[in-house]
Amino acid sequence: MSDSGLPDDPDGDRTSDPSPADDGAESRNPLEEAADATLASRAMDGDTHAFEVLARRHGPLMRVYSAKLLNSDIESDDVVQEAFLTGWRQIDQLDSPAHVRNWMMRIVTRKAIDRIRVRRTHDDIDDWDPPAPAETSPERVVIARLQMDAVWDALDKLPSDQRRCWLLRETAGYSYQEIGDSLGLPLSTVRGLLSRARRFLLTEMEAWR
Amino acid sequence: MTSDDSALPGDAAPDDDLDGHTMDELSDYLDRGRTPYDASIENSAACRLALTGMTRLQELSWAGMTKQSRLDPHRDDAWISGLLDTIKAEVQSGRDVPLSHPDATLRLALTEAAVRGMIRRAGDTMDGVIMGRCQLDGDVTTPGAPVRVDVSASIRFGMGVDRVADELRERVASALRRHTELVVDGIDVTIDDIYLEDGHGHD
Repeated sequence: MSDSGLPDDPDGDRTSDPSPADDGAESRNPLEEAADATLASRAMDGDTHAFEVLARRHGPLMRVYSAKLLNSDIESDDVVQEAFLTGWRQIDQLDSPAHVRNWMMRIVTRKAIDRIRVRRTHDDIDDWDPPAPAETSPERVVIARLQMDAVWDALDKLPSDQRRCWLLRETAGYSYQEIGDSLGLPLSTVRGLLSRARRFLLTEMEAWR
Repeated sequence: MTSDDSALPGDAAPDDDLDGHTMDELSDYLDRGRTPYDASIENSAACRLALTGMTRLQELSWAGMTKQSRLDPHRDDAWISGLLDTIKAEVQSGRDVPLSHPDATLRLALTEAAVRGMIRRAGDTMDGVIMGRCQLDGDVTTPGAPVRVDVSASIRFGMGVDRVADELRERVASALRRHTELVVDGIDVTIDDIYLEDGHGHD
């Protein structure tokens, strides 16, 4: 995965070297080559540049994930920012630096679910599941469209409880029990929701073969 | 509520019969990493087809999300720069590492964070070296007290571990001599990862 590189540092604090505290003062960032474990270890030592590389490496994916969980692109920015801030403040609690992505994913999940809960107490927007659109005929879709996009888009057609269970399971790697605890659902319900989500997504996927 | 799949009314999943197995069973089997080996599943073409489909679905949903996250490379700049502003203000400077000064009324010190940053830089500026953890063990706040430095690093594939470790130790020692008055008792270098030039190992 060769990302396009960090954008220019607006502060310019990589080019000058005003104080020893300003570590990582390279003009090209060699940290981009570093493994997650290395970056997480450095972040635990207080290296903000290492944490920045982690945020740039994994943040976009988590933003997309939380947007899907929340059904809101705008809120996802806040969630992922809060989550990374929490990650930074609690990095001492990270047991295994190599698993920092998974650890962050869980923090993002918690923050997103907190938002969903708050929403629920204020209004019922969230409980309104848009009806699944009528079966889109393959002819109407560009032929070259990838199955990948089909699956991704199909997630939007799921009722939100199914979609959330699916995302927690497949993206954040939660166990059924953890999903139930997070969403306040009995285990049997989680099973049922996942089962229906899987069935629906498989059908959608097959449709594009 | 006894049967899980019919927990919610209305759209109970149809009973699938995949040579005597259900999709749910297969999903659990897949989650367990297809262990323990189940011959009645593995010998059934229908089951294997379903397992392939589920695996493909997992791959696709992850791939779709990854693709989505890369559509606009600058989409995340705003929240990341907000994040950085906050965390840079919160950096823990750690203990004070005293420096002597001819004027006894002046008290000079480096922060521990600064010393760590200096050590990391001594390694990061070496070709093919990326520093990892960095610890100062010992009483850095007392002038003259012996201190051990513990660092880890990953190095590029193909570099000689011994040679790199020696050079790294020397560079760290020299940086500390130049910029601090720490009495360094030893520098422990652990090479804990080897990376490839291109496909680096952070997946």
